[in-house]
Amino acid sequence: MNKLVFIFAEGFKNVWRHKSSAVSSIFSIYLTLIVSGSLLIISQNTNKLIEYLRDKYKIEVFFKDGVTEERVTELVTEFKKKNIVQSITVISKKDAERIFKSQFGDDILGLLGYNPLPISCVINLKKDWPSRLDLQPIISDLKKYREVDEVRHQGKLISRIESYYDRFLQIMIIAISITLIIAIFIISNTVRLTIFSKKQLIKSLQLIGATKWFIKGPFIIEGIVHGLIAAVLAVYSLVGIIRFSKYLIYDLTEFGIIFDQVFIFQVLLSISILVGFIGANRAISRFLK
Amino acid sequence: MIKIDNVSYSYPKGGGVSNINLNIDDGEFVFMIGPTGSGKTTILRLIYMDLFPKAGLISIDKFDSQSIKKRKIPFLRRKIGVIFQNYHLLEDRNLFENIALPLHVLGYDKDEIIELTNESIEEVGLSGKESHYPYELSGGEQQRACVARSLIKDPDIILADEPTGNLDPVASFELIKLFEEISKDGTSVLMASHNYNLIKGRGHRIVEMQNGSIRQ
Repeated sequence: MNKLVFIFAEGFKNVWRHKSSAVSSIFSIYLTLIVSGSLLIISQNTNKLIEYLRDKYKIEVFFKDGVTEERVTELVTEFKKKNIVQSITVISKKDAERIFKSQFGDDILGLLGYNPLPISCVINLKKDWPSRLDLQPIISDLKKYREVDEVRHQGKLISRIESYYDRFLQIMIIAISITLIIAIFIISNTVRLTIFSKKQLIKSLQLIGATKWFIKGPFIIEGIVHGLIAAVLAVYSLVGIIRFSKYLIYDLTEFGIIFDQVFIFQVLLSISILVGFIGANRAISRFLK
Repeated sequence: MIKIDNVSYSYPKGGGVSNINLNIDDGEFVFMIGPTGSGKTTILRLIYMDLFPKAGLISIDKFDSQSIKKRKIPFLRRKIGVIFQNYHLLEDRNLFENIALPLHVLGYDKDEIIELTNESIEEVGLSGKESHYPYELSGGEQQRACVARSLIKDPDIILADEPTGNLDPVASFELIKLFEEISKDGTSVLMASHNYNLIKGRGHRIVEMQNGSIRQ
């Protein structure tokens, strides 16, 4: 316990002792966190957009003449078991007649003497599907039922939207990973510079019997503190940037920017702790080899 | 306590020691003399396992150079106090903080650290200078601070590498006397020096090094 207190105290004191290198390290991490944070906000907003679009995805299934309403109910229960289905609305022959009248103004029963409109159902898909939503399997599956006459969908459009979304997610993951790797290198190099100026301290600690972790500890704490300061500054900056952007686009669009301050802070905080730990540990481990 | 058995070590660029045999008992005070480059520092570094023999074996208490794991070296070093000619005090810490450092490594609590550090400072005659930084102390005072830092963890062995190299004759004799007192308390002392006049006639064993070997 006493050792832990000493390691933490030394780590915090080191931030003050190495003020000049701390400033450059914090600033560099701050910039990488701003980039990571912006990418996260873009991802969140793209998610909102894709959910909005997915909300509009619909698959219409028309049943053959002669299929009873009871059988349709059974089939709908089966369809609901498919994992990408959110909900299903059944349109009976009477509902179809009503819809026809409301859309065309004519009573089809009066015109033809009978109702030729089939029973159908509209399938709504899950909008929070975590990856690319592929309609092809469910459509092929639906077509296999002999009671199904026709399946209508916006397959090509959906496929294109989903493929763009998929590519976007991949690019985001690569961009965030690159940003984090850069941050790790920055912290690592800053700590390495500090270590060179602390060679004597490290040598003394080794000679008096300090273990590797006792020597590493304060440098790692120092790296993490740099990361934490940068994270707080980055979150406040992002709040400012988002407020200003909202103000700028307020007159242009109704699409408000989503900015979950707590979530972004938690993510950036975790990133900064992780990056601080890995960066500092990498630098000091190389030195202690 | 220290057993050096047929040990050889060579640096990649030349130099080192060959076929060294040396035993040092508990509480024994041994002088190691020889010119610069004769291998004195190499032997000390081999003892605190900063270097490992290319041949032979070094045993200290339950540790030996062949079987010791890297992560266990700190535990061996806790039994050894090392003192250098250039003091190796930390410039950004005051006298108290420098001397207290080993106690932090060993995990002592705050009150014990204060008590033991003050005792140690008093023992080496540096009371009143606790808040002085190394650059505010004379060479002799800095060396005594190093001794205090080594003694505070109550080591079984003291290794001193040319500890009087930067001291005037009076301070040098005072340091030798201090080592003699430490030795009387049961701590083994191995002191390397090239100054024969400083140690002759004090009744301690003298090991003479020349070209990496012990001169018989």
